[in-house]
Amino acid sequence: MTDTLEADLGPPRPGRRERRAAAPLAYRRRNAELTLIIMAAVITATAYTVASLGSNSEIPPGIFGFVAFLLGLLLVAHFAVRKLAVGADSTLLPLVALLHGIGFVMITRLDDELASLQSLWSLLGIAVFVGVLLVVQRATDLARYRWVLFFGGTGALLLPLVPGLGNQINGARIWVSVGPINFQPGEFAKIALAIFFASYFAEHRELIAAKTWRIGPLRLPEPRFILPVVVAWGIAVIVMVGERDLGSSLLFFTLFVVMIWVATERVGWLVLGAGLFAGAAYFSWSRFSHVQTRVDIWLDPWSDSLGKGYQIVQSLFGLADGGITGTGLGRGNPDQVPEAQNDFIFASIGEELGLLGATAILMSYLLIVGAGLRTALRTEREFEKLLAVGLTTIIGVQAFIIIGGVIKLVPLTGITLPFVSYGGSSLISNYILLALLIRVSDSSARRLGEVPDQPTPGERWASWLLRRQLRRDRKQAPVARQQEVS
Amino acid sequence: MNRQIRQLAVGLMACYVVLFATLNYWQVAQEEELNANVENTRAVRREFNRARGPIVTADGVVAAISLPTTDPDADFERQREYPTGDLLSNVTGYFTLSFGSTQAERQYGDVLTGQTTEQQIRALGDLLSSEVDNSGSVQLTLRHDLQQVAKFALGSRTGSVVVIELETGAVRAMYSNPTYDPNSFVNLPFDEAQAQIVALQEAPGNPLVSGAFQQRFMPGSTFKVITTGIGLEAGVIDRNTEFVRESEWVPPQTTDPIQNYRGSVCGGDLPEVFRRSCNIPFAQTAINLGPDRMVAGVEDWGLGEELPIDLPRAAASTFGDTENLDQELPLLGIRGFGQNDDQMVPLHMAMVAGTVANGGQMMEPYVVEATYDNDGRVLDRTDPEVWKTPITPQTATLLTEFMTGVAEGPGGTAQSVKLADGVRFAAKTGTAELGVVDNPDLVHAWMIAFAPLEAPKYAIAVVLTDLTSSQADAATGGRVAGPVVKTVLDFLLTGPGADVVLGPPR
Repeated sequence: MTDTLEADLGPPRPGRRERRAAAPLAYRRRNAELTLIIMAAVITATAYTVASLGSNSEIPPGIFGFVAFLLGLLLVAHFAVRKLAVGADSTLLPLVALLHGIGFVMITRLDDELASLQSLWSLLGIAVFVGVLLVVQRATDLARYRWVLFFGGTGALLLPLVPGLGNQINGARIWVSVGPINFQPGEFAKIALAIFFASYFAEHRELIAAKTWRIGPLRLPEPRFILPVVVAWGIAVIVMVGERDLGSSLLFFTLFVVMIWVATERVGWLVLGAGLFAGAAYFSWSRFSHVQTRVDIWLDPWSDSLGKGYQIVQSLFGLADGGITGTGLGRGNPDQVPEAQNDFIFASIGEELGLLGATAILMSYLLIVGAGLRTALRTEREFEKLLAVGLTTIIGVQAFIIIGGVIKLVPLTGITLPFVSYGGSSLISNYILLALLIRVSDSSARRLGEVPDQPTPGERWASWLLRRQLRRDRKQAPVARQQEVS
Repeated sequence: MNRQIRQLAVGLMACYVVLFATLNYWQVAQEEELNANVENTRAVRREFNRARGPIVTADGVVAAISLPTTDPDADFERQREYPTGDLLSNVTGYFTLSFGSTQAERQYGDVLTGQTTEQQIRALGDLLSSEVDNSGSVQLTLRHDLQQVAKFALGSRTGSVVVIELETGAVRAMYSNPTYDPNSFVNLPFDEAQAQIVALQEAPGNPLVSGAFQQRFMPGSTFKVITTGIGLEAGVIDRNTEFVRESEWVPPQTTDPIQNYRGSVCGGDLPEVFRRSCNIPFAQTAINLGPDRMVAGVEDWGLGEELPIDLPRAAASTFGDTENLDQELPLLGIRGFGQNDDQMVPLHMAMVAGTVANGGQMMEPYVVEATYDNDGRVLDRTDPEVWKTPITPQTATLLTEFMTGVAEGPGGTAQSVKLADGVRFAAKTGTAELGVVDNPDLVHAWMIAFAPLEAPKYAIAVVLTDLTSSQADAATGGRVAGPVVKTVLDFLLTGPGADVVLGPPR
């Protein structure tokens, strides 16, 4: 009995060379990732220097410190992946590094003070990234905590509505103030809810798809399986009405609809979701002046170009001024756009780096989406599939909503551009998201046999405890027998 | 589920394609329209935040300079100031955020901000930056001291003073009333600046438009220099041509007689009728020349062409409508002595005097001596160029003799003007009767001159507009414009201004 258990836990961890030899593909990925990360760092450092040259024709005094800090952070992230998720996709981290770097350069160029805060958030972001990789060693472990995450997530989402805690900034009540710390719980809630939906739908997808409940001509799933649908819709409405955060509301709802559609494989959910959202949107448009204002500005910002339409009009002026090649870093006037470092950072990029730079940002998001969905395709576990879909949808849709708003494609809603905008909550939550995506990617690689599935440190710790227990048992056992005998 | 995931990938990709298309729409298709939008101040702001070099007079006085803004909350780091106030505003122009720029500020904006190709190449290492000071500077040919004298001599009267260096065409003074102080609006907020500019645009005499080179006035008898020049060149008259002494003469095609000034009896040989400024002889000369030769002649003198000065929007002098002039011979005659539809730009009249003194060559006028880069190296120095050669040196010599007679001969209309230290000069006066119905006494009083006679250096034109000349107080060119000419030439030739050495700026 004991021998079998020990055999189950496998031989002791192999050495470095053996590990490499056993997973050539994974290590090739890691080397590619390292190369790409260094390229992202070079681009960022160059952009940083050029921006400084552009605005005051000086090589930035702290350039070596900056490069050291940048490389330090990226290498820490890289080695964390190398140690903890060796089989993961090689492009996710470099793409994020590029977006984060360009965003940081733009923020530095716009506001020095915010930049030093942003570097602190970057540090925290990477720390949290490593922490999540360390703690979540098996993606499937997350499914166990789905109800915690569900209540935690919805609770966090509703937290800004709590009097005394919630804080309204720039019209949206999405902030929570605890002492000196301000944060946007919604940024974290979206991840918690993505995990919950993934886990819930993975388990109940057949039941939801079954549609056994008939009301007249309608065939619906059992009421208890529809409940989450109603809850999600309710959350979206509460966020839209109570917190006046149209962007997050749209993001939550899209996330939910996309996940339930992928899980049930029924396109009806997309139609139903679109209909519900349209209904809610029309209702709030007809009832709430701030929603009407948003729509009016979207349809015609020019008629109030010095008032409510100022931001979007200035954003478009900036984009036009940038043209194809941009004004050059540090040489435009992106500070003409209010909130340039935040929601409108894409307009600053479009102005100073031009259509080319803006397209590079679009391509980066598209590649992240591609890598995320490839991960979803590769894994055969439903939970991981849905989780990867959810996390990818968050990044892809969030970037689309805010970029589309900035360039007047969709109504403008205040929401951050993932990894690029200024903001601690946004940056940290997006690094959590990235860590989870990388974790799913690594898990699927292990199952596909690209990496020998070694026990995780947690499992090794458990096994070590067990071995110790066994050894003790063995030592004690003869004594006990002797006692019995005597 | 994989099918849905692939569809999701396609869907998200489509979203980003739409984003890319929209981005193209704004940054490429709509680029020009957005950049041309009046509310889009980005290009101007960029211009405005660029270092802008000074405009300096020939004698080293700063006429326009960018200084750091005093208000820490200001939108811009620098503001443009004009230390000389209204003295040189018609030459420097102004530079504003919302209302564009004028004159030298406009013409030499590229130099001042370091945007010329040459400056860009010289500052190649700094090309990356907009903040580095690559600004150039502009040195004017105008002298601050002379400009002050011209302003003083004009006093509160409406009119212009132009002094050119006749061998080169360099403008040494060019002042006109009314004028304006650019400091009164360039650094004001939009609304206040707009109110100021509109007020200036509606003010009488249009202060924003230089009276010296952007407006034209009836030249009166000063035009006789041109008519005489054309007549001599064509051989219609010569030094010995005698004109009947009479007070009025009826030209062909009419019964209305042409009179001399105030109906006086006037005649004699060409030098006499010139110095006494009879009207009839010049009407006869013009009519004898005929419309074709007269029109071709005035074109030789540059009428009908915008003056080739290095400032934007210079005016063109005009001989009036020349269609069917052969049916309007009386008008041709009247235009021969500078009335009716003749209109001359004051700067052009100074050039006319300069042409006589310069052996018949009319130089292109210029107000910018040289431009410099940020290190004080010359970017460009203006080379004097001949614009027109309307008369031969022989004709020029004759005209010089006639114009000397105006200043020195018996009955000369500028006899009353005596320059200090006995400096000799040549001149022609003019009193243009505007013939305004409700104000028949309204005149422009002119005098053009060059000095010193022995080695002419400067040509001057003075016009006092909107004077009323009554029988008792004859505001003739000699009496009214003469003292202005004397004040300026005395200062320049024998006064404090004579010793000023013009050096490079900075």
